[in-house]
Amino acid sequence: MRLSRNWAIVPGFFAIAIAAAILSAYSGASSSQGVAPEQPINFPHPVHVQTLGMNCLYCHYSANKSPDPGMPAVGTCMGCHTIIGPQRPARDSQPARTSEEIKKLQDYSAKKQPIPWIRIHKLPEYVHFPHMRHVNAGVTCQTCHGKIQEMARVGQFASLNMGWCLNCHVNGYNAADGMRAAGYEPTPADTAAPIKKARYDCGVCHY
Amino acid sequence: MPNDATEPMSRTDGTTAVRRREFLKVLGASTAAATAVGCTNEHVEQLIPYLTSPDNTVPGVSTYFATTCRECATACGVIAEVRDGRAIKLEGNPDHPLNHGALCARGQSALQGLYNPDRFRTPMLRQNGSLTPTTWETAITTLTQRIAGARAQGQNVVFINQAESGSFPSFIDSWLGAFGFPAHIAYDAEVDLAAREANRQQYGGVQAPTYDFAAAKLIVSFGADFLETWGASVPQQLAFGDARAALADAPRFIYIGPRRSLTGLNADDWIPARAGSELGIVNALLAASGAGGSGTLAAAAQAAGVEPAVLERLSTDLRAATSSLVLAGTTGPDAFQVAAAVNTLNRSLGNEGKTVKPAEPIASLAGPVAGVAHLAPVIARMNSGAVPLAFVRGANPAHTTPKQMQFATAFAKVPFKVSFSSVPDETTLLCDLVLPDHHSLESWGDAQPVPGTVGLQQPVMEPVFTTRATADVLLGIARADATLASRFPVATYREWLTARLGGPAALTAALPSGMIAGAVEARTATAPESDAPGETAPLASQTGDFDLVVYLSPTLGDGRGANKPWLQELPDPVTKICWQSVVEIHPLTAGRLRIKPGDHVTVTTSAGTVTAPAYLYLGVRQDTVAIATGQGHTGYGRYAERVGVNALDLLTGSPNGSGGLALTQLKASLTKTTDRSMLVSTEGSARQHGRGVAQAVTAADLLAGRSEEHEAFPGDKPHEFLPGLKSPVASDAIGDLGKNEHKEQGMYKPDHWSGMAKRRWAMTIDLARCTGCSACVTACYAENNIPTVGARWQGRSLRPFHTSDGSGWDTRPGANILKGREMAWLRIERYFEGGEDGSSEFEARFAPMLCQHCGNAPCESVCPVFATYHAPDGLNIQVYNRCVGTRYCSNACPYKVRYFNWHGFGVPARRQYAFPEPLNWQLNPDVTVRGLGVMEKCTFCVQRIREAENRATLEKREVAPDEFTVACAQACPSRAILFGDAADERWTMAKTVQDARRYHVFEELNTYTAVVYLKKVTHPREEPNAARPAGGAE
Amino acid sequence: MATAAAPVTPRPNVASANVQIPGIKDYSEVDRDIAATLQPTLGWFGALGFAILCFLWGAGTWIYQIYWGLGNAGYNPPVMWGVYIITFVFWIGIGHAGPLISAILYLFRAGFRTTIYRCAEGMTVFAVMTAALFPIIHIGRPWKFFWLIPYPNWRLLFPNFKSPLIWDVFAITTYLTVSSTFLYIGLVPDIAVLRDREKNPLRKRILSVLSLGWRNSEPEWRHFARMYLFLAAFSTPLVLSVHSVVSFDFAMALTPGWHATIFPPYFVAGAIFSGLGMVFTIIVPIRKFFKLQHIVTINHLDAAAKLCLTTSLIVGCAYLIEFWVAWYSAVPAEQEYFWNRVFGQWWWAAWIMLTCNMILPLSLFSQKLRRNPSWLFILSIFINLGMWFERFVIIVPSLSHEFEPWQWSSYTPSWVDLSILLGSFGWFFMWFLLFIKQLPVVAIAEVKEIIPPRLRSHKVPEEVDVSGHHLPYGTDTPGEFA
Repeated sequence: MRLSRNWAIVPGFFAIAIAAAILSAYSGASSSQGVAPEQPINFPHPVHVQTLGMNCLYCHYSANKSPDPGMPAVGTCMGCHTIIGPQRPARDSQPARTSEEIKKLQDYSAKKQPIPWIRIHKLPEYVHFPHMRHVNAGVTCQTCHGKIQEMARVGQFASLNMGWCLNCHVNGYNAADGMRAAGYEPTPADTAAPIKKARYDCGVCHY
Repeated sequence: MPNDATEPMSRTDGTTAVRRREFLKVLGASTAAATAVGCTNEHVEQLIPYLTSPDNTVPGVSTYFATTCRECATACGVIAEVRDGRAIKLEGNPDHPLNHGALCARGQSALQGLYNPDRFRTPMLRQNGSLTPTTWETAITTLTQRIAGARAQGQNVVFINQAESGSFPSFIDSWLGAFGFPAHIAYDAEVDLAAREANRQQYGGVQAPTYDFAAAKLIVSFGADFLETWGASVPQQLAFGDARAALADAPRFIYIGPRRSLTGLNADDWIPARAGSELGIVNALLAASGAGGSGTLAAAAQAAGVEPAVLERLSTDLRAATSSLVLAGTTGPDAFQVAAAVNTLNRSLGNEGKTVKPAEPIASLAGPVAGVAHLAPVIARMNSGAVPLAFVRGANPAHTTPKQMQFATAFAKVPFKVSFSSVPDETTLLCDLVLPDHHSLESWGDAQPVPGTVGLQQPVMEPVFTTRATADVLLGIARADATLASRFPVATYREWLTARLGGPAALTAALPSGMIAGAVEARTATAPESDAPGETAPLASQTGDFDLVVYLSPTLGDGRGANKPWLQELPDPVTKICWQSVVEIHPLTAGRLRIKPGDHVTVTTSAGTVTAPAYLYLGVRQDTVAIATGQGHTGYGRYAERVGVNALDLLTGSPNGSGGLALTQLKASLTKTTDRSMLVSTEGSARQHGRGVAQAVTAADLLAGRSEEHEAFPGDKPHEFLPGLKSPVASDAIGDLGKNEHKEQGMYKPDHWSGMAKRRWAMTIDLARCTGCSACVTACYAENNIPTVGARWQGRSLRPFHTSDGSGWDTRPGANILKGREMAWLRIERYFEGGEDGSSEFEARFAPMLCQHCGNAPCESVCPVFATYHAPDGLNIQVYNRCVGTRYCSNACPYKVRYFNWHGFGVPARRQYAFPEPLNWQLNPDVTVRGLGVMEKCTFCVQRIREAENRATLEKREVAPDEFTVACAQACPSRAILFGDAADERWTMAKTVQDARRYHVFEELNTYTAVVYLKKVTHPREEPNAARPAGGAE
Repeated sequence: MATAAAPVTPRPNVASANVQIPGIKDYSEVDRDIAATLQPTLGWFGALGFAILCFLWGAGTWIYQIYWGLGNAGYNPPVMWGVYIITFVFWIGIGHAGPLISAILYLFRAGFRTTIYRCAEGMTVFAVMTAALFPIIHIGRPWKFFWLIPYPNWRLLFPNFKSPLIWDVFAITTYLTVSSTFLYIGLVPDIAVLRDREKNPLRKRILSVLSLGWRNSEPEWRHFARMYLFLAAFSTPLVLSVHSVVSFDFAMALTPGWHATIFPPYFVAGAIFSGLGMVFTIIVPIRKFFKLQHIVTINHLDAAAKLCLTTSLIVGCAYLIEFWVAWYSAVPAEQEYFWNRVFGQWWWAAWIMLTCNMILPLSLFSQKLRRNPSWLFILSIFINLGMWFERFVIIVPSLSHEFEPWQWSSYTPSWVDLSILLGSFGWFFMWFLLFIKQLPVVAIAEVKEIIPPRLRSHKVPEEVDVSGHHLPYGTDTPGEFA
């Protein structure tokens, strides 16, 4: 009858509200996952990592010895790019071309200015993330950063939410999975390696 | 050191022209507050890398540079921690012969001189009346012309420099000489010239012998505040601390003087001798011991206003003591005579060479230093208009000389005045040209701490602003002059220094240690010209009911510390007053005059008057009022302005026998005004009310194994400290203390692979060593990004509506502290025992109070969101970003060591921001800058623990015993604080925790604190014939 | 037992079960008189306007405080709790009269509750609504308040169920839910009455929805009675539990003056006492301005005043026991604190408390005063003041005078505290004033209960009288349905 429909609205409304609250709580609403901003120089990780096979630690030189991974100084880039100028020769498929990006780089270097990269992976300052602990524990970069070597433009791969961190700290890191995440076939050693757990006490990261 | 090849990107920001570098973490630190209060990963942030990466530095990892502290003349060795190109912490150099790793509060605050927001960004030139920014080129050309102009009457050029040891003084002299100018005057209002002069005469030129406190059985100090402002305070603290560490065998200490200073509070007895009566006492003592002198003890006692028996006992004890040590640091007109007589007394008691060691002098406290007597003729010449050109560097005579000397007016008459000060001060603001010098942490230099060793001073970072080292400026000017260029072959002071110190190779080799063997060639100039010591009328013959005692502030010194918020916020160790000047009056006197604490009283002397709130202090004679120097600045930057009064306004310029200013020279009268203001004090109750916070045991009881247990309530049994896993860890994380198997574990099983649950971080604080000097407090501020809250713009709102001029806000200095909102994670509680009747026989006890990291913490169970909880390694963790700010934990905490961030002192956007650019450069990147509305507290420097763990893991090893320590323990100049893992007996602390004197504060509450105090040991006088098992009088 | 012609003696001995309303002759009079109270008056608009102004000022101040930080409140560490928590406990306490009067007294068959319980229930709901704001107002980061609520989240974190503050969250929400349900259920038949009298179609529509289609049929009455009985039984323990939980906020903390086992009963008694105080503050003006003296009779007030006196005696007893316990505990901190409470720094607050809550209510031993509405009103103001200061005395002096002498301090509220305190009164009275003009402040149905039986011999055809009801059983026990 009509009356019953009238007041059936009330509990229905509450049900929806509660559901919405829980959903929003689960979907770490504050995460900037997937953000891939335009950078001052469109740096092609694929070329450097895959084509040229450079090691991550060549540019991010302190990732294995400091909490801070380190960003390559302009000087580091120019180390190669004084020789490798903007004039790119014809390669198998491509014709000869001039690389705008390398030109930009050389301009920065000429103007003695650093490159104002847009920061993508940012943890709040109340979280202390020692890169070296993770790198030396054998965690592959791609586990957290995604397959950088394939990203024409780098974006935030993981949510970087606390639950996401804890997931690994509590359940442990599996070397084989790490390798797969990086896009490589796990070696037998990896598959044999024990699961690495980490401390999940709040005071380990928050102080 | 950073060299120019690695000059990273510097950006000039239009408003302040700050040369700043952006780094991930440093940038992060300055924006941390914003993020500490919530997710702000939305806002776009830039990553600015180096242009060229500097050699041997790793971003995010600290580098350490050994250099020399220049905050006072002692020149202790310091290690500067530099992170990503910014100095973030100063610590003592463990290898340094003077301070052995310790550092006082003032030394640590050098950083706030370096990053002082009021520093000159550029040279300043006076144009139509006001100092306006200019370029270095203009500035130097102007100066060159002026110098050329002044050479005609060069003999009258004046150069006033701070008193410092090392090569620089003689460098200035050679420079001045080259232009035909007279040698400079090294002026320092803090130096006790009397003692130095007396020593020089009696110890064959040695001005500052070292004192072996440990070798003495009886220490007598005539107003020598050797723990704070007299002589080399840090080395003396170390020595005194070690002496007191002998516990029962430790020397008795008797302090004589009209006011009981911090040093006096550390004495076992205080003989409140009337100001100016010390000489009589010393002479009488000499006479009594048949070593010359004159007068009887009775007469001396009469003059001093003390019981004759007191001096009789003193004399007996002195003669009975196997070895003793007598020090003189009086500040009266007869200071020199007292010092001389005391030296004689020491000789007659056979202390020379035993406890007084002229053979091992403190070399940095040497060299001709000028006092007011030496300034007087200069002032005269300035007044006469004869002085064409005046330089001032480091010294601030306009504030540190009594107004009556008219320095400012005379100085103003000099046609052209040049200041090399890097911060505005009273003298500099009178100048026509300001050539801001590098801070000592940005420039080269040297010092001579002890004979045979040169302490090096090197730049630890790129200059913060566009300043230049004075030495380089002077060199440049000289070399620009064709006739002089030959005399100055090298272009920079660094090269000049290198040449003196044995070449680049030697220097480079020496820099890591910060020391190099050799000697700084002494200043060739003779002692500065001086009139005959002015004869001042003895106190007795003047009018006024009170003796006026003006004393150097332990925190601000002669005032040079007043522009550093850490020092302004640091409560005076004795009065616990900060951000304020007070007049110290004896409670009985105050009662007689109906003066209540905070009533404004006007002190009048023949020289002038000041008005300040009254502070009732047991430690001044009833016929004495005391005021500290250091406040009352008129042009010393935002932190010093309109704070307190300048006590020197009360004095005439009359010097003591050796040219120094006589601080205790006048009678004063006291009138109560109708105004009153609250005392900016951190003190609640100065009495313990039997709570047993700071406990003590007499030497005799300690020897006999007697110690009266503090009983909180009838039948209360003290419980043992249970180190390590045996201490009940409130295992909140699994929320179950009920189950037995959980009693001994936290979040993890005790055998957890992380090893965390195996540790029990803990601390012992030895009250027998602690002198209450408060260096640890400043160390904590520096390490943990603790905001200072006393500045005038940090107050709370008083009205709903505010006008732009800041009205409607509480702009009193220390407004927040008036509301008890100081943020010091570590505070020094100063309790008085006895003396309730106003008698001079009272004892002071100091108890550093910090988070006790209870094994069974009341704060943890009440936090609704687990923002505070117990870590498996025994830490009581505070998670700022989880805290919602119910403040329930603070209510539950019996020690009241939790502090709430009331105004978002760490948020740059806020009015109450505590770290105005570039002060925020000092922020420790390893520690979150707390934002608005969260609770914070001592973390046992958890960042250092984690750092050590990370280092150990990187090197694939365990954390080694005593591998690291916390900031307060590191700084402590009396080595009272020890930190360690109580569960691992290889740590030193794990042994001291078993000391017989150990106790927990409020142990009846079963909090199982991780901070264990060791009782203070007192040394009441015993009759010499009374048998004593050890030490004493045989 | 109510009899036909129970003579109203000048000084009757008012047995709680024997409360009559001789002023009422007829059911229709009941409807008329009570419905008459719903007509808005100028005075009412004025009062409502003032309440809203106060509320807006308070709300504005709160926004100001959220932006500029809690530092602008008068906190003076270690006094970390102040006016906000005091006022929180104060309002929670006020909220305890409702269920007591409507539920407990119902179960105890206390007839005098009939005419005042609706008022008390309304008061309860709004008081709890007010109180519930303060935990949010007083925390440092109000925008993180939801962290106190257990909900699944990506941080994988839950609140600390050992913390009394979490218990508070549950206690208050439960209390709010149950008391508002109880209020609403009791209202249903009365809303039906209003519905039937209502001319305005829109209001009629709303009322008919709210009345859940009440048709005044026998099964409806039967279910209603069962439901009411059940809810009464359900909310009775809450009266005791909620304020016990609130008292744990203090009793669970290791603080002299807080850490006492007497707190739960002490707080519950205090709460009921303050609640009754507020009932008088509200009911006395209402019966005057709404001309309900013939329905809310002096006898009702008299009986309620007796209850008030009883609770006052319990509270006073608790005060004295606290001092005795402090002395007996032989803990210096405890003893010094209590000494400081009455003879030290905070003597004035303590004596306001003792005077208002212990001494003045003794006047209720005099029946003359019990039966004097003006005095009851004046006294009730003192009781409200006294109970606010009771919480002040419990919170502030304890925190300002704890174990650590070095940290002893003082406390003075700032303009921010006081504005928000004012705002809370504005908020409370805004709701209450709206309530009394929308819904009957006296339970129509229950008043009809106690109209002397003889009236029912009047020829009132059932089918005509849609609002009146007949008793299923012959017995006439006031205040009972089934």
